[in-house]
Amino acid sequence: MDASYLDLLMAQQEEITEEAAGGGGVWVVADVVNGSIAPVTLEGIGAARTLADSLGAYVYGVLLGAGGADLAQTLYQAGADGVRVADDAGLSEFALEPYLHVLADLFEAEQPEVVILAATQQGQELAPRLAQRMGGGLIEHVTAVTLDEATRTVQGAVPIYGGQYFEILACPEARPQFLTIEPGTFPAPFVDSYRKGEPTLLDVEPATPAVRVIGPAEDFEPPPVPLKQAPVIVAAGRQVGGEAGFALVQQLATALGGRVAGDRGARDAGWIEAGQVVDVRGVEVAPEVYVAAGIRGDTFHNAAIEEAGFILAIHPDPHAPIFESADLGLEAEPQDVLPALLEALGD
Amino acid sequence: MRIIVILGRVLDPSGIVVKGSAGRIFVNREEYLIQPADACALEAALRIKDGMAAEVVALPRSPLPDDDILRQAIARGADRAIYLTGPALKAADEAAMTGVLTAAIERLGGADLVLIGSTTLDTGQGQLGLRLAEALGGAQITGAWQVSSADGQVQAVLQRNGRYVAVEADPPVVVTLLPGALKLRYPDGVRLINVYRGVGEVGDALEAWDAADLVDEAALTPLVESRGKEFAPERERGVRASGTPAEMAQAAADALRQRMRR
Repeated sequence: MDASYLDLLMAQQEEITEEAAGGGGVWVVADVVNGSIAPVTLEGIGAARTLADSLGAYVYGVLLGAGGADLAQTLYQAGADGVRVADDAGLSEFALEPYLHVLADLFEAEQPEVVILAATQQGQELAPRLAQRMGGGLIEHVTAVTLDEATRTVQGAVPIYGGQYFEILACPEARPQFLTIEPGTFPAPFVDSYRKGEPTLLDVEPATPAVRVIGPAEDFEPPPVPLKQAPVIVAAGRQVGGEAGFALVQQLATALGGRVAGDRGARDAGWIEAGQVVDVRGVEVAPEVYVAAGIRGDTFHNAAIEEAGFILAIHPDPHAPIFESADLGLEAEPQDVLPALLEALGD
Repeated sequence: MRIIVILGRVLDPSGIVVKGSAGRIFVNREEYLIQPADACALEAALRIKDGMAAEVVALPRSPLPDDDILRQAIARGADRAIYLTGPALKAADEAAMTGVLTAAIERLGGADLVLIGSTTLDTGQGQLGLRLAEALGGAQITGAWQVSSADGQVQAVLQRNGRYVAVEADPPVVVTLLPGALKLRYPDGVRLINVYRGVGEVGDALEAWDAADLVDEAALTPLVESRGKEFAPERERGVRASGTPAEMAQAAADALRQRMRR
């Protein structure tokens, strides 16, 4: 069926017009990474759209940078009703005072009801300063939102002890309500490529960063992260496939930015030191991600990884106990899967 | 140079078990630690004091039921600690604590450097230090591995865009320290005993100040309130990927990417 008439129809859609200034609204401060809008910003626009539809409010995006005004259309397409753009060479890279100056002036004038920022370095630095300056409440690292419609209060779920449970927090009185949202926890919104608008350019007054970069800290070496506190661990077992298989484990650890560990079999083979043995009699770990390659998974090992956030197990024996503990199991020889996994991660 | 260190405490997570299916948190061993990132802030302050004339004063990051972590800070080398009390303080959130701490710092005669952990172990909140920077009108350096002071400036080492860089700022500066950045020294045995007995050179190092003397009661009203807890559904374990090694690897890569984005 020829649907080209739909394109013509949609292309005639009127440009989005904004409500007059000073109407509160739900605002999203964009993060720009490598010249593109960060996915978390689009997720924020999606969350803002949901809240704004219930509140009967508008969604506004704020874009700060140099020469990136074209990115405003991405915010419109994700659901923003209005976009403010601060385009200035002094905003080319995030620095607190220049960004804060623009946003504080804007929000003082617009009096937002809700402001959403990403829980990234930029958002986490800006949000407390803005909240303190404007007398607003701030909920950080939000992973889900609901709305108390009676009081127009946003309720944010915040992970406690790394997500073992969630505290529901709200700012019932203070306005604006500031939120920083965790990347990857909100669904990406539908991108309507026909949606478009005319962004409003902001006047930018220069502000000097209070923190000066002296230069690279060449002699600095960070303290080694103890295995117990490592966020990512890739561990090898007796059936990893010999020296060649262990080399693949090391490559995977490098690719994931993790630490290499193993079970007692790996230590007996001489691939790891005693301090790298994951076992209740060795080191008990609680990483965000634990990859067990060729580890059969005895009781002592599996008990030591109980607190891991996500466990990927690779082992050829379908009856290996490690599969009972794993969130995802691959019944295969590690040396067959690991090269493909490294390739897939490299894409 | 006056250095303020903000310290909090946290329930040792190894002593608790969360049962999502029962909707309950079981505390098997009620033991409190200094917030790990705050412990790094204390060590950073003491290292600066080791190298130059400086006064280190410890203040609490939140209402505390007892002054134990402040005594521990004195035992490790802090010159003074202020235990903030008062019934109105009990519900204070970060915004309210910012007001109290700002007033306390002013009463102390101001600060050249405020050191605090970048995040809390339990709630992951990092706003207190940066709210303080705003309230004090100072610069902020976030996520530092190291802090030092020379020539009237504050220097720090940070990681930015995958590289370590040295930065500096004029006082007053608030610096937030990463957890694990520095290893906190052990307490001095004599100071530890004396600070609990209230004798010796540290006998009067711990003071208690009523928050009501620092700020109006209205300023202690929290902006953020808790509306309950939610528990994630039980994890579904034992899921297997199927297909060729390449297909299984792709499924694993997708799962790892999704998990690591969080």
